[in-house]
Amino acid sequence: MTPHPRLALPRTSRRSLLTGGLALGASMALPGCAYIRDDVPVDAPLPKSAKAEIDGDLVYFNWADYLAPKVLRGFQEEFGVRIIESNFDSMEGMYAKLAAGNQYDIVFPIAKWVVKLRQEGKLRAIDPAQLDNADQVFYAGSYFNDPWYDAGSRVSIPFTVYKTGIGWRTDKVSSMTGSWHDLWNDDASGHIFTLDDQDEALAMAALLLGYGVNTAKASELAEMKKLLISQKDVLRAYSSDDINDMTGGDAWVHHMWSGDFLYLRQGLANDPTKFDFEAPTEGTPINSDTYAIPANAKHPGTAMVFIDYLLRPENAIRNMRYLYYPFPVKDALPAFSELAKDVPACNVEVSDLENENVYRLLSADDQQRRSATWTEVKAS
Amino acid sequence: MATVAATDRAAKAPRSAQRTWLWGALLALPTAWMVAFFVSSMAIIVLLSFGRTTNDGYPAFALRTANYRAIWNDVYLELFVRSLVYALATVVISVLIAYPVAYTIARHGGRYKNALIAAIVVPFFASYLIRMYAWKALLSDEGLVNSGLRKTGLSDGVTFLNTPWAVVGGLVYGFVVYMILPIYASLERLDGSLIEAGKDLYHGPVRTFFSVTLPATRPGLYGGILLVFLPALGDFVSAQLLGGANTYMMGNLVQQQFAEGQNWPLGSALTVGMMAALTVLMVIYLRATSTQAREGS
Repeated sequence: MTPHPRLALPRTSRRSLLTGGLALGASMALPGCAYIRDDVPVDAPLPKSAKAEIDGDLVYFNWADYLAPKVLRGFQEEFGVRIIESNFDSMEGMYAKLAAGNQYDIVFPIAKWVVKLRQEGKLRAIDPAQLDNADQVFYAGSYFNDPWYDAGSRVSIPFTVYKTGIGWRTDKVSSMTGSWHDLWNDDASGHIFTLDDQDEALAMAALLLGYGVNTAKASELAEMKKLLISQKDVLRAYSSDDINDMTGGDAWVHHMWSGDFLYLRQGLANDPTKFDFEAPTEGTPINSDTYAIPANAKHPGTAMVFIDYLLRPENAIRNMRYLYYPFPVKDALPAFSELAKDVPACNVEVSDLENENVYRLLSADDQQRRSATWTEVKAS
Repeated sequence: MATVAATDRAAKAPRSAQRTWLWGALLALPTAWMVAFFVSSMAIIVLLSFGRTTNDGYPAFALRTANYRAIWNDVYLELFVRSLVYALATVVISVLIAYPVAYTIARHGGRYKNALIAAIVVPFFASYLIRMYAWKALLSDEGLVNSGLRKTGLSDGVTFLNTPWAVVGGLVYGFVVYMILPIYASLERLDGSLIEAGKDLYHGPVRTFFSVTLPATRPGLYGGILLVFLPALGDFVSAQLLGGANTYMMGNLVQQQFAEGQNWPLGSALTVGMMAALTVLMVIYLRATSTQAREGS
C-alpha cells in the first residue's frame, strides 16, 4: 500500500529511506563474492534491443512510491500482465542487487549510474524505433538525443529531471537573498537543514566557492570542508527527509530537491503561501533519472511496452501530478509549468539541461577523497 | 537371566548409537548454518579489511594495512568515545526504566503477567525504523507534543529533535525491551519467600532490595546490559533520523563507507577495529565483575 499524496499523511522523500533500507541493501549485497572482483569488463558489447512485445509479467525495480499507482494499474489492465514490484532505497543498493545477478525487467538509474551500468555491459540496448512515443523525448534538437551520460541514448530513456535548491518558510524567515549563503542565514539559526547526501552537500559548498560540483582536488575539498563545518553553528541537522523536516516545523530553511518541495507545497500544505523555493544564483545541480532495461532481464519485451506506455503524454502528466518532478515528455511540459506556476524556480526548462552541474561517475580515488571529506564534515 | 540381560544390552546398544547419530544430525544443521552465515561473513569482513577498492569502485581482496592506518584518526576516535557515551547512557536509562517495570509485572502482575509482557513486546513487532519516524512526527517543533505544550501554556515549545537527547531517547526506546525481558525472567524465578525473609532480616524494603533481590537477579541484569549496549553502540538509525549536526556515531561512519563512500575495505577495518576495542573493554569488565564476585563470596 502506498499512500497517495492527496492524503494528509506526508510521504517521505524517496531518498530519505536510505538509512533503514541500507542495512537491508548492504546485507543483500554480499551473496557469495559475485560483487567482489577485480576484472570488470569495460565498455562491454551492448546486447541488442528487444522488440516491444509483451513477453511475460513485468519485474519492476524502482524507488518506493515513484510512479503513480493509477498508471501502474492502467498498464496491468490494458496489457493483461502483472507488475511484480520491488524497491531499492539507494543507487548503491540497486547496483549491488544487479551486480549480484538479480533479474529485473526495468530499473530506474540516476544518470551517472547509467554510465557505470553501460560500461559494465549490464544494460540492454533500447531501440527508439520500437517505441511509438519515442518522439516525445527524442525530437530534433532534444537534449536527450545525445545526453552526457549515454552517448547516442543507446541504453536509456529519460524519466524525470530535478533540481536542488533551497526551500524555506515565508512566515518564519524573510531575509532570503537567493544565494547558497541562505543556508547560513542567522534568522533561521537552529532551523537550517542540509541534505544528508554526499554529492548534494559537497556540490552546495563547491558552488559557493566557485568550484565544479564534481571536484576531487585535495585543496578545494579542504576549503569546502572548512566552509561546511562553519555551517554547524547555525545548522540543526543533516537530513534527506526534507518533506517531514519542513512539515514538522523543525526546518525553516532546507537544502531541498525541487520535486519534494513542490509536493510539500502543492500536495501537503494547508497554506501553500507559507513555503517558497529558490534556485541559488551561484548555480544549481540539475540531474536526471532514466528508464533502463538490464541485460539479464527475462521479459525485455514487456519492459519496452511499459516504457512506451509511460512516454504517453497523458501518463507522464498523471505521474507528474503524483511525483511533482517534471518529466521531459514534450506534450506534458505545459502541464508541469501549470503545476509549478506559483513556484517557477521548481521548474526545469529544457535549456537548463545544458548545465555543468551534473553528478558524474568518478574514479575510486576521487570518490574516496570526496567521501572522506564528507565523513569528516559530519563527524567533526 | 544372563541371556535376558545380554539381549537387553544388545537391544540397547544400537538404540544409543542411533541417538548419538540423531544428535549429530540435529547439531549439523545449526552448525552448518552458523558456519555459512555467521563465521563466513565475519571472515569476509576480516579479509576485506585488508582489501582495497578497484578503480571501478569494486571492493577487492588484497593484503594491505592502509585501512587500519586510516582508522587511526582523531575524528574517528572522538566518534568512538561519543558512541560509547551514548550507549552507556542508553544502558543506564534502560535499567532505570526496565527494572521497575519488570519488578512490578513479576511481583504484582498476578494473572495479568503474560498479558502485560505481551503488551510490552507487541509494539516491538513494528519495525524500529517505523517507530523512529513516528517519534519524528510526535516530537517535531510543530508536532503533537509541542502543540500540546503550547496549548496548555506550559511552555512555548521544546526542541526535542536533532539533539543528543533525542538520539539516546531513540536508542532507549528501540532497545529497552531487551532489558525488560531478561530482568523479568530472573525476577520471575526468584522465590518470593526470599524477599519476605529478607524483610525480616534487614528491616525495610530498600536494604532488602540491595541485599536480596538485586544480587539474585544479577545474571538477568548483566544479560540485559549486554543486549542493550551492543546494538546501541553500533546503531545508526537513531542518530540519522533523530540526531543533529553533532551526533554522528560509529554506526553512521561504518554505514557511510558501505554506501555513498563505496569504501567497503575501510568500513570493514572500522568494524574489525570496533570489535577489537569492544572485546578489550568486555574482558576488562568481565575480569572486574568476576573478581568482585569472588571477593563478595
